[in-house]
Amino acid sequence: MMRSGVDPAGGWDAHRLTLAFGIAAGLPACAAIAERGGAFSILLAMGLAVIWEAVFARIRRRPMAWDGLVSALIFALLVPAQTPFWQQGLALSFGLVMGDLIFGGRGRGFLSPACVGLAFLLFSFPQAGAEDLGLMTMIAALGGGAILLGLGLLSWRVVLGFCLPLLAGAALSGAPEAVAWMPNATLALGLIFLIGDPVAAASTNPGRWAYGGMAGALVMLFGSEGSALASVVFAGLLASLFAPLMDQAVVWWAWRRRRNRRGQHG
Amino acid sequence: MTPEHRKYLTAPLIDSNPVTLQILGICSALAVTTSMATALTMSIALTVVLTAASALISLIRRHLPSSIRLVLQITIIAALVIVADQILRAYAFEMSQRLSVFVGLIVTNCIVLGRAETFAMRNPVWPSVLDGLGNGLGYSLVLMIVAALREGFGAGALFGVQLLPLASEGGWFTPLGFMLLAPSAFFILGLMIWALRTGRPAQIEPDAFPRNDTGAEEAGR
Repeated sequence: MMRSGVDPAGGWDAHRLTLAFGIAAGLPACAAIAERGGAFSILLAMGLAVIWEAVFARIRRRPMAWDGLVSALIFALLVPAQTPFWQQGLALSFGLVMGDLIFGGRGRGFLSPACVGLAFLLFSFPQAGAEDLGLMTMIAALGGGAILLGLGLLSWRVVLGFCLPLLAGAALSGAPEAVAWMPNATLALGLIFLIGDPVAAASTNPGRWAYGGMAGALVMLFGSEGSALASVVFAGLLASLFAPLMDQAVVWWAWRRRRNRRGQHG
Repeated sequence: MTPEHRKYLTAPLIDSNPVTLQILGICSALAVTTSMATALTMSIALTVVLTAASALISLIRRHLPSSIRLVLQITIIAALVIVADQILRAYAFEMSQRLSVFVGLIVTNCIVLGRAETFAMRNPVWPSVLDGLGNGLGYSLVLMIVAALREGFGAGALFGVQLLPLASEGGWFTPLGFMLLAPSAFFILGLMIWALRTGRPAQIEPDAFPRNDTGAEEAGR
């Protein structure tokens, strides 16, 4: 499925993929802990994820998977810090179970579990999410994103497709205050770990451009009204719902083109 | 009532429930289950219409020309639905306003036409009545469970009676706003179906796209 960089299908087992995502997400997590604390809530989230993974490993009689840890890390990074623990736990459980485990685990679903959990939280307990992630977290997030890009786990097409509408919008409006909110840690984390998640993203190359572009345009649309977190979460959720359709359209288009070509040559 | 007749009444409650097994009537199950009161009214309206429609259609089943039977079935069902809607408007106007179009939409509810077409057309009146009543009660059971969960967690109340003190009024309960949105009904129904089919594997449908690459010993499972 993934063609740039290392092909994860060649020799990369699930645990190694999990480890790569874990390292990439671990960088901003460490930065965030250094910047604002919150190590306890991250540990709590990861503990909850292990419990859910163990429950489903038992139900399905499969070996234990550890992908929930990465989802929990991303969720705990993005969740507004003042959210009560029981609300965080409920939302994370919902995201892990309904967004991922119920489909059979990572790679079998079509949504990012952290994204589903955050969307549940924002729907259920609407609140003013103070943006308290700082510059260091953003730099660490970009570092994690660079690792994923280098390993081919994050598609550069999605990233570019995402950035283009935002840059175009900023250039067209020409207002510096429209650009001011853009380079922020929530947006970077959301792009790299929610929108860029290969499970949630489209998996054909033209589809990746369309998917990234749709997510970017939606972030711009939602960002003019709501908080950065809500805009990136809902843009990611909506775009990943459309990702399979985009892939299917690309497949149809390629199939038609091939049939026409064959038809001409007899 | 013979045991066979009793089965017409009890089988649709769980074993062949119209909502959880046949996945019919989902639209209204999403729309009216934000509170127990609307769900109960809708359940009663559907059960009455379904029972009466089954009885009427079974009564005239030998006189219905098969080429126009669907038109006649729909006409009978629509007449009954209009009566039910008018009665609601006359005696429970506020409730009919809260239910908006959904009582009128019983006409298009697949459970009603499905029972008329598959059961009442082929069976005598008394079994048809029992079958209609049983399916109505099966629908009602699912609606009441979904509504109890949605109103309970979404507003901390049942039938409008506040059971859990709300945090906004000094209590401890923070309502789950998500429960009052339509997607939550999808999730609850899905989880119910999952639980039901785990408990009763006979309800699991065969795979629509079976795998052919699993080898002979796996194919036998």
